[in-house]
Amino acid sequence: MHLHTRSISICLAIFIAFTGTALAAGPENEKCMACHGSAEIKSSSIRRVYIDPARFASTTHAIVGCTSCHDRVSSGHPGDSYIPPKATCGECHGPVHDEYAKSVHAPKARCNDCHNPHDARLPASMSGEDINRTCARCHDTRKTIQSHAKWLPQADLHIDSLLCITCHTGSKDYVIIMSIESRLPGSGTEFKTAGYEELAGLTRGEDIRRLIDLNGDNIVSLAELRAFNHQLRGKNMRLWGMMTPEIVTHSYQILNNRWDCSFCHASGPKAMQKSFISFPEKNGGFTRLSVEKGAILDILYGTPDFYMLGTTRSTALNIIGALIVAAGLSFPVAHGFFRFLTRKNRKESNHEA
Amino acid sequence: MKHKEMMYMTPLPVRIWHWLNAFGIVTLCITGIQIRFPDYINIFGAYKAAIRLHNTAGVVVSISYMLWLVYYLIVARSLIKLYVPTVKDLTSGIFRQAYFYFLAYFVGQPNPHHSTPESKFNPMQKAAYLVIMFILLPLVIASGVLLMYVAPLRELLMLLGGIKILVGTHFLLACCFTAFLFVHIYLATLGHTPLAHFKPMWNGWEEETVEDDAPEKTTEITKPEIGISSTEKQG
Repeated sequence: MHLHTRSISICLAIFIAFTGTALAAGPENEKCMACHGSAEIKSSSIRRVYIDPARFASTTHAIVGCTSCHDRVSSGHPGDSYIPPKATCGECHGPVHDEYAKSVHAPKARCNDCHNPHDARLPASMSGEDINRTCARCHDTRKTIQSHAKWLPQADLHIDSLLCITCHTGSKDYVIIMSIESRLPGSGTEFKTAGYEELAGLTRGEDIRRLIDLNGDNIVSLAELRAFNHQLRGKNMRLWGMMTPEIVTHSYQILNNRWDCSFCHASGPKAMQKSFISFPEKNGGFTRLSVEKGAILDILYGTPDFYMLGTTRSTALNIIGALIVAAGLSFPVAHGFFRFLTRKNRKESNHEA
Repeated sequence: MKHKEMMYMTPLPVRIWHWLNAFGIVTLCITGIQIRFPDYINIFGAYKAAIRLHNTAGVVVSISYMLWLVYYLIVARSLIKLYVPTVKDLTSGIFRQAYFYFLAYFVGQPNPHHSTPESKFNPMQKAAYLVIMFILLPLVIASGVLLMYVAPLRELLMLLGGIKILVGTHFLLACCFTAFLFVHIYLATLGHTPLAHFKPMWNGWEEETVEDDAPEKTTEITKPEIGISSTEKQG
């Protein structure tokens, strides 16, 4: 009965949050965060109850409010040593909970093993690195590469360039998420997703989305994206594309077509058309900006180290290559034609060379 | 009267290399088409199968190239003699050979070059094979190896201009080899019979017709790695 009441109250809180009165959660949260977000707690022996205020503030859970999940905090808290109970994830995320419970992953990990409720973000608000880092907490990257190398060519490259959930998902379709990556000049280190401060430095305080969305219409045209990619050359920055499931499931299944390389490695009007640019935010999250529909990966052909077999081939090179082959083929055809016409000359002279 | 002479033109190691190379390069070209144009061409079923076969053929061609190099450079020691054009070849030989292929051949004049085990290639062949064996093939092998190990060699790839430069180079080189295949196979049919040049690449011996009063060739037994020649009188 109590559980039922709490579920109703949480749902009500969500409803309130999304109907514009979310600020009601603000003072409540502030009261909790005064201690739980303080530097003293962070450096104390009970740092496990520390919550990063900035990161928590950007989550949906912050809108719902602390007391929606922690609804039985005693009046003597924290002095009475009573540890208040907390809501379970399934109380709000019922369908996800049920889907996950049926998956092969369920016996191995609980919700909290992957998702920190005080830093839980939608996949759209996370970078590809962040998402994969969650998996890598249990799945050692080196072992993952070894196991995939049994069937997947260049497994290290794939693991490095794809989200784990691109294949381990129930989502039939995918979108391309482009992110801006950078590295220290001359460092020769790996490229990492560029942070907010770094990009804000380039725009001098202006909205960082204007780096690419030049006209500020909240949609990136292919021309704008191409121009931006061109600008990045030689600046230790690059645009990087990752295939991401269109919807995120918790079924952890592998659809049959994910074993077929041409699911990704094929171009054409049906492939790689829907995409977004992922921009970092001050709070550590990300926001997505839609990109005009089109062959977006063709634009990345201008990125020196981005090439996707079968997808980002250059039309100009195809034409040059075809001309080379045609030239090679034309010699036997032309020479053979004249050879046939002049065959009598060689019979007469008996001098076939 | 004329008689036929049999010349041992192509030693066994060269023949093994040639056919490994030939099947390897044909396999590379066909699998390469599927790898580049998977949405149009599917010859080997799964894309992965095409890639695996492409990589395997690439390794075979690379190893056979090393065998070829070691054989000609160290065992036979005839690499420079056979493959590097002389000044005379460059100043006049190439033009004389080109004149033969594009004009003299059609009016029935004889081939100005007479192949022997010590001078297998005409000046045009020398120049073409020099470019292919010492520039194009090493380049296509090197670019292929780099593309097989993109993640561990990424920094090296970047130093060389990036992966797309390498892929483009690899692709254009592959097109050159495809073009060469057409020309190579066709020119091989220009012997005194259409199969005359194919046989020595299979069993090592080439048959040639010479005048009876022409001096017989001496049998070379001191350099069997280059080839020995024997004579066989026929009517």
